[in-house]
Amino acid sequence: MKNFSKLIYPYVIWMTIMIIVPMLMIVLYAITVRGNDVLTLQFTLGNFLRFFEDSIFPSVLWRSLKMAFFTTIICIAVGYPAAFVMAKMKPNNAAMCVLLVTLPMWINMLVRTYAWRGILTRISLSSEINVYIGMVYNFLPFMILQIYTSLSKIDPNLIIASHDLGANDRETFLRVILPLSLSGVVSGITLVFLPAVSSFFIPKLLGGGQYVLIGNLIEEYFISTGDWNFGAAISLIMAIIILISMYVTRKLDKETPEAND
Amino acid sequence: MKKLIEVKNIVKAFDKQVVLKGVSLDIYENEFVTLLGPSGCGKTTLLRIIAGFLDATEGSVIMDGQDIASIPAYKRDVNTVFQHYALFPHLDVYDNIAFGLKIKKMPKDIIDQKVMRMISLVGLEGFEHRDVTMLSGGQQQRVAIARALVNEPRVLLLDESLSALDKNLRKEMQVELKEIQREVGITFIFVTHDQEEALTMSDKIVIMKDGEIEQIGTPVQVYNEPVNEYCAKFIGDSNIIDGIMKKDNLVNFDDVDYECVDYGFEENEAVDIVIRPEDIDIVPRNRGLINGEVKSVLFKGVHYEVIAETSSGTSKTVIMHVTANRDIENKEAHEKISASNFFMDLEDVDSLTDSEVIARANAQAWNDNDEDVSLTKIKYHLKNEVGTYPCTFGTDAGTEITINITVTTPKVVEDEANEEGIQAFDFYKTVDEIKESVALDTDLVRWADAYAWNMEDNSRVEIWDVKYDFDDETIVEGDYPVTFSTQGREIKIETTDRIEEGERIGLKWNPEDIHVMRKMG
Repeated sequence: MKNFSKLIYPYVIWMTIMIIVPMLMIVLYAITVRGNDVLTLQFTLGNFLRFFEDSIFPSVLWRSLKMAFFTTIICIAVGYPAAFVMAKMKPNNAAMCVLLVTLPMWINMLVRTYAWRGILTRISLSSEINVYIGMVYNFLPFMILQIYTSLSKIDPNLIIASHDLGANDRETFLRVILPLSLSGVVSGITLVFLPAVSSFFIPKLLGGGQYVLIGNLIEEYFISTGDWNFGAAISLIMAIIILISMYVTRKLDKETPEAND
Repeated sequence: MKKLIEVKNIVKAFDKQVVLKGVSLDIYENEFVTLLGPSGCGKTTLLRIIAGFLDATEGSVIMDGQDIASIPAYKRDVNTVFQHYALFPHLDVYDNIAFGLKIKKMPKDIIDQKVMRMISLVGLEGFEHRDVTMLSGGQQQRVAIARALVNEPRVLLLDESLSALDKNLRKEMQVELKEIQREVGITFIFVTHDQEEALTMSDKIVIMKDGEIEQIGTPVQVYNEPVNEYCAKFIGDSNIIDGIMKKDNLVNFDDVDYECVDYGFEENEAVDIVIRPEDIDIVPRNRGLINGEVKSVLFKGVHYEVIAETSSGTSKTVIMHVTANRDIENKEAHEKISASNFFMDLEDVDSLTDSEVIARANAQAWNDNDEDVSLTKIKYHLKNEVGTYPCTFGTDAGTEITINITVTTPKVVEDEANEEGIQAFDFYKTVDEIKESVALDTDLVRWADAYAWNMEDNSRVEIWDVKYDFDDETIVEGDYPVTFSTQGREIKIETTDRIEEGERIGLKWNPEDIHVMRKMG
C-alpha cells in the first residue's frame, strides 16, 4: 500500500498549480491596488469598501442570493412530489423515469439555455421570470435524483410499521417518510443552491442584460472593465458566502441521520 | 375464556397462486397462539390479514363480533412486532416507543409515564436516548416489543420475531416473551417455523401446511397426539412407521403385532405409527418387544441418539472379479493399451454403442509420453442371447487388446415382505481401479449396476448399504463377494446409557407409547 501513496503526487501538484495558486492570486488581487507591479505592491481594503459603499453591489448580491434561494425552493416543491411518485413506482417504470430525468443532461447546458432563449423571446415574459425558468429547468434534475435516491432507500416495512402503530397516510408521511428523506433534500439543496448563486450565463442569456446577478458582475469586471482587483474582491465575497452556506447545509445534514436498513 | 378473534374460512390468492385455502381458527383472550409451519405455508400471510396489511380474497376476520375487513390497519386494535423489527432509524429508543402514543395525541406526561413503564418492562432502563441503530439485536427486539405493547393493543402479532437472534438469546427471549405476555395479559399471535419455540411458549399451537391448518392443539396434545405424519415430523423427533391396524388396540408393523391404546380405525386400515425416541427403552436382547443392532450412536449432550436396525432391508450379493493390470505394450509403436472384461444385461445388447463399449471396458491407449491415443478400431459381434463374446480394441499404429463381453440376465432378488426388489451384476475390475477409487461404495454400486425398486409402485429405492470383506488398499487378484442392500427398519432411540455401535439389543416400550395416526390425504 505504501507504494501506492505516491500516486497522490500528480494530483497534489495539479491542485497546487490549478487551485491553490489561483486562489491565492485572487486574494492577492482583492487586497491590492490596481496597477501594481510585483515590486511596488500596495495593500488596501478599498475594493471591499467599494463593494459595500455603493448600494448597487450589495443589492445585486442580495438579488443573487434571493434568486438562488427561490430556485432551490421551487426545485424542492416540484422535485419532491416527482421523486415521491417515482419512488412508489414499479422498479422498471422508475428506472425509465430516472432516464427521462437525466436525459436533458446529455446535452450541453449552454445549448439548452440557448434553446430556451429562442422559446422565451417569442413569449414576452419579464426577464426575471425568464431567468427563473432557465435556472429551475437546469437544476431540477439534480434535486429530483437526490430526493428519489433517499426515498427509495427507505425500508417499506417502516411504512407498514407506521400504519400498524396507528398513523394514517398523512401522519406516516410527516413522521416517517419526510424525516428519512431529508438527507436527500439537503444534498439536493447543495447541488442546486451553490451553482445557482454563482451562475452567470443563464441570467446573461435569458435575462437579456436586464437582470444582472453577481456572476455577471464578476464576469464584467474581469472581462469588460479589466478591473481585476475589484472583480477578485467580489469573487472573494461570493466564496465566503458559499463557504458559510455549505457549512450550514452540512450541519443540517448531520442532524438528519441516513435512512439505513 | 372469551372468544376474541374468529378467522372464518379465509382464502388468499396472489394472482393465481392460492396461499391460504380456507383457514378457520378461533383465538381467545389472553391466549398465546403460535402459527407453526415451514416457509410458504401461509402463516405470515394469515398474520398480515389479521393485522390489516393484506385483504383476504374470501372469508372474514371477526373481532369482538365485528367483521374488521373494512377497518384499515391503522385503526385496528392490533399491533405487530416485525421480523426485522422495522424500528424508525431517525428516532431514538424513547421516540420509537412513543410513536403510537404521539399519533394518538396523548398528553405529554401520560406518554412519558407509559413509555417509561414499557422501558422498564422490557429492561431497557438507561437506553432511552440511544440511537436504535446502535443497539444489539436483542435490544432492538425489546424496543420493537415495547413499541407495539405501549399502545395497549388487544392482540400482539409477532412475525418470526425471534428468528434474527442467535440461539442463546433466542431462548432467553422465549422465556421473556412468555413472561411479558402473562404480565400484560393480552393475546399474542406468534408466527414461527421453529417447533421448539412453539412448544416452549404457546397455549395453543396451529400447525399449517400449504395454506391449510393440519392440527390445532395445546403443546402437549400436538406432541403426544399428532393427527398425521406431517404434524408428527414437524413437532419433535419421531419414528414414523407404516403399519396396519388389525383391530382396536392392536397394530401391526414389520409382520409383528403390538398392543396399543388406539382404537376407532377400520379393521386392517393402513396407518402411520409414531413412537417417540425417548419412549423407547433399551433392554438385553430377546427381552424386549423387538431385537435390533446398533447402527450409530450420536452424543447429544443430555442423551445419546441411537439408531438401531430392527429388520434388514432387501439385499443382493454379486461377485467382483479382481484381475491384475494387464497393459499390452506395442514396443515398435511406443504404445500401451488396456481394457477389462465386463458383464452386461441382455436387454441392453440392442442399444449398445461403440462409445459405451469403450466406457464399460474402460479401454484406453497411451504412448510413452503418457499422452492418450485414440482407439480407432473396435471389433465385436454380440448375439441377442446369453453368452461370452470377444471384443477387440485397437489403435492406428496396430496396438490391440482383446477382452470378453459376457451377456447375461441380471440377478434379481425380490423380497415379498419388504415389497422391494434389488438387482445387480457380477463385474470385473483391475486392482488399480479399486485402489484409485475415492468413493468406493458409490463406485461399487455403479460398477455392479445395482438397482433397487419398490414392487408396489416401481419407484426407485436407494441402495442404503454396501458390504464387502476386503481392504481396498491391499486388494489382490481374486473373486470377492459384494452385497448391496436397501434400508431396513431403523428406529431412533434417545437414551442416557452408553451403548456401542454394533451391539445387539432389545427394544421395549409400553402400549401407550404407540400413537396411531390415519394416513394423510
